[in-house]
Amino acid sequence: MSKVASESQIVEFVRAAREAKTPFEIVAGGTRRSVGKPLFDSKGGDLPLLDVSGLSGIVKYEPEELILTAAPATPLAEINQVLAARNQRLGFDPADWSRLLGSNGVATLAGARGTLGGAASCDASGSGRLRHGGARDSLLGFHGVNGLGESFRGGAKVVKNVTGFDLPKLVCGAYGTLCVLTELTFRVYPKPQFATTLCLSDVTPDIGFTALRKIAHSALEPAGLAYLPGNMLAEAFKIEGGQGAALIKLEGAREPLEEKIALAHGLLGDAATRIEGDIFPAIGCGETFADLPGDVWRVMIAPSDAPRVAKELNAEHWLGDWAGRLIWLAAPPSDAARIRAIAAAAQGQAMLLRAGAESRAALGLYAPQPPALAALNRAVKAAFDPLSLFNPGRL
Amino acid sequence: MLLPPTDSKIVARRAEIVAALKAIVPDGVVADPSGLATFDADALSAYHQMPLVCVLPSGRHQVSEILKYAGEHGVPIVPRGAGTSLSGGALPREDGILVGMGRMKRIIEIDYENGCVVVEPGVTNLNITKAVEANGFYYAPDPSSQVACTIGGNVAENSGGLHCLKYGLTTNNLLGVTIVLPGGEIVTLGGKCGAQGGLDLLGLVTGSEGLLGVVVEVVVKILRKAPVTRTLLASFDSVPAAGQCVAAIIGDGVVPAAMEFMDRRAAEAIEAYNQPGYPAGAEAILIIDADGVEADVTYAVSRVTDIVAQCGGKTVEATDEKQRARIWSGRKAAFAAMGRLAPDMLCMDGTIPRHALPQVLEEMAAMSRQYGLGFCNVFHAGDGNLHPLIVFDVMKPGEFDRAEAFGADILRLCVKVGGVLTGEHGVGVEKRDLMVDMFTTAELEQQGRVKCAFDGQGLFNPGKVFPTLSPCVEQGHIHVHGAQMPHPHLPRY
Repeated sequence: MSKVASESQIVEFVRAAREAKTPFEIVAGGTRRSVGKPLFDSKGGDLPLLDVSGLSGIVKYEPEELILTAAPATPLAEINQVLAARNQRLGFDPADWSRLLGSNGVATLAGARGTLGGAASCDASGSGRLRHGGARDSLLGFHGVNGLGESFRGGAKVVKNVTGFDLPKLVCGAYGTLCVLTELTFRVYPKPQFATTLCLSDVTPDIGFTALRKIAHSALEPAGLAYLPGNMLAEAFKIEGGQGAALIKLEGAREPLEEKIALAHGLLGDAATRIEGDIFPAIGCGETFADLPGDVWRVMIAPSDAPRVAKELNAEHWLGDWAGRLIWLAAPPSDAARIRAIAAAAQGQAMLLRAGAESRAALGLYAPQPPALAALNRAVKAAFDPLSLFNPGRL
Repeated sequence: MLLPPTDSKIVARRAEIVAALKAIVPDGVVADPSGLATFDADALSAYHQMPLVCVLPSGRHQVSEILKYAGEHGVPIVPRGAGTSLSGGALPREDGILVGMGRMKRIIEIDYENGCVVVEPGVTNLNITKAVEANGFYYAPDPSSQVACTIGGNVAENSGGLHCLKYGLTTNNLLGVTIVLPGGEIVTLGGKCGAQGGLDLLGLVTGSEGLLGVVVEVVVKILRKAPVTRTLLASFDSVPAAGQCVAAIIGDGVVPAAMEFMDRRAAEAIEAYNQPGYPAGAEAILIIDADGVEADVTYAVSRVTDIVAQCGGKTVEATDEKQRARIWSGRKAAFAAMGRLAPDMLCMDGTIPRHALPQVLEEMAAMSRQYGLGFCNVFHAGDGNLHPLIVFDVMKPGEFDRAEAFGADILRLCVKVGGVLTGEHGVGVEKRDLMVDMFTTAELEQQGRVKCAFDGQGLFNPGKVFPTLSPCVEQGHIHVHGAQMPHPHLPRY
C-alpha cells in the first residue's frame, strides 16, 4: 500500500504506475471498497492500494457564497458538523453505507469512515436526494490527477458556470475510474431548522406511492418520501404500520413547517399522523437491510411504476424511497437475473449494491449497456485514464 | 476572431452534398442564397457566415442519416436550435452542414405522474411551460430568450435564467436526452428512471455546445408552481452595501427565487425606457423574489426586509401582481433600454465569487475609462453571474474592436478573482480564445480528449469552445498536442 499526502505525491505515484503499467485501487475511508466488481490484477491477485486518506480536511468554507472546498478524504461527519454550525448542509444527503456493506463479511479497512470523495465517487445519496439532487447536482469543481499523471481541474469554485465541458458531473458516480480526486468544491444549502415526518399507515403500495407522488408534485419541497411495507416498519423501526405506510418528511422554519404539515393533510387526508424521530437516515443508508441475508439491490425506475415493479420483484424485504424512483430490496443470489430483467422491462436500472465477490464479478454494478453506449463509456474512460490504471473494471 | 480555415475541397463538392441531403430530407434542404441568409448568424450578431447548406430534418432517423453521411464524407456539422446563442454557438461554417432542429417540435408526452415532459429538441422553452401551466406546473430554467429558444439549444448551452440559484440550470432539470452521435449512432442517456447505469454522460453532454452530438429528444422535469410569490425592490446608496446585503441574505439561509442587481446606470437607463418605478438616485438596486408556501414567503420577506435595513438600504414591496410585473418588466427590458444609449451593445457573462463584486465593479469602471466606452451592470446577484453591457457604435472606426477588447478584459478579471468566463451564455466563438486564461494546457487537452471520445474526426462544431482543434490520436499512447498553448506565436484561428 502506498500512502500519499499531497497532489504531487499522487502525480508521482500515477506516473510510476503508468511507466510500469500497474493498475491500482484508490482508497480513502475504505467503506465502499466492496461496491462494484472486485478488483484484481492480471494474475487474479489483489491490486496495489493507493491510500489517499492523508488528503483530508476542509480547505475553505464560505457560508455566504454557499461554497465548501475540502480534500477528498475528509470524513463526512466532520463536514456535516462544520456545516451544521452555520445552519447549512450538503445538498446530496451523502449516505453512509458502512453498516450495510460491513455486515456481509465484505472487507473494509480498520477504522473505516465515510468520506466526501467516496460518497461523491459512488453517487451515494440518501433520502434527501429528492430535495437538491445527487452529488452531481452540487459538485461545482474538483482537482484531480488523470491517468497521464497530470493534475487538472474540472469546473470551478462558483455556483454558476458553463465554461467548457462539465467534468464534475462525470466524476460523480464514476467510482474512481476517471482520476484520483485531490480536492472537491460543493455548493451547500441552508439547513432548515425543523423537520417532521408524517405517516400514512396501513395503505397498499398503490395507495401509498400515489400519496407520495402527490406530495412530490406539490410545492411542499419534501425532504423524504418513502413507502415501507408493514414487516419492514415493524422489524426495523418497531412501528405498527399495518400492510404498509407512506412516510413524508417535511422541513422548514417553525411556522412554514406547520403550514406545510397542514397542506400535506389537505392532500393526504387527516389519517396521516406525525411520528417521533427521523427514520430517513436509516432508510437512506440501507441500514434496514444491514442485518438481512442475501444480496441488496437498488432498482431505479419511473416513480409511477413503483407499485407494479415492487409487486413483480416480489421480495420479502423491500422498500421504496424517492417517491418510488428507488426500490431497495434484499434477495437471494439466485434472483439476480430476474431482478435485472424486471428493471430492464421497466426501462430502469438495477444496481447490485451488496453481494459476495463472485456475484459482483459476474453481475457487475449495473447491467451491461447497449453496445453503442458501452463503447462511449469506454472511450470517455480512456480519455481520462487511457491505460486503465484506476480501479479497473469496477464500474 | 478567426475560424478554422475553410476546406475548399468540401466547398467544391457542394452540389453533391446538397443532392445527398435532399435524398435524406427531400423537403428540408435550404441551398439558395436568400434562404441561407436567414441562417448566417445567431444572436452574437457581429459574426456572420453563410453555411454550405442547411438541412431541416423532421425526425431522429433523418438526423442519423445526415450525420452518417457527414462522417463518411468528412463534412463538418453545425447544429442549430432557434439561433439565440449569445456566444456564437450556432455560427455556421462555409464548409459545413447547418443542421436546423426547428421542425422537430413535437411535445411527445406529458407525464404528470412522473413530473416530466418528453419533447423533441425544437420545442421552445416557454412552450413546455405553456403545455403544463393549466395544471399548475412549469419548467424552471427561464433564459431571457425563452419565448424563442429551443430546449435542444438549452441542453447544448446548459441554459440558466433568473431562477438558477434556487432551481438550478438546465442540467439540474433534465432526466434524459437522446442524442445522435457523430457517425449517426443514436444513444439514450438517462430517462424517466433518472439513472444511466454508467458514467453520467447526460451531465457531460449538457452544456457541450454542440461539440458531442445532436439532441433529438429530451425528458425534462416539471415543477409545481409555487403558490405564493412576492417581490421586493431594495435600493442602496452604495454598491458595496448592496453586495454585503446579498451575502447577508444568503448567509442567513434565505434562498430567494430570484435576486437581481442593477447599478445606477442600468437602473436610470431602464427607468427612462419603460418607467418601472425604480427609486431615483440609488447607486444599486436589488429585485428580490421569494416564492413557496405562504408562511415560507412571509418568513423570507421579513428576513430580507430586516437585512436590507441593517445594510442601510430601503425596501419597497410590490403590492399586487401588476406592480410585480412592472418591476420585472424593467429588468427584462435592460437590453432594449441600453440600446437607447448607443446603437450597439455587447452583453458579457462572467461569474465571480460574490465577495469580489466591489473590486470587480471598480476595476470595470477603470477599464471603461481606458477604452472610452460606456457600460452598465445587470447581475444575477444570488449566484454571482455578471452581465456587464458594453455600449458602442459599430459605425465608428475601431469601436467594435475596443468593445471586444473591453469585454475580454472583463472576463479575464472574472477569472483573476476566482470566477469563470461564462455563467450561462456559453463559450462558443465569443470566449473561445480566452479559454487559455482559465484553463491550463493539460486541462484543455483533457477536455479535448473527451471531445475525441465522441467525435474522433473533429467534425462537430469545429472552431467553437476550444482555441485549437485537438487532433484525435489513438488514445493512451501519444500525448495529444503537447504545445504550450498560452504562447502567442502559435497559430490560432
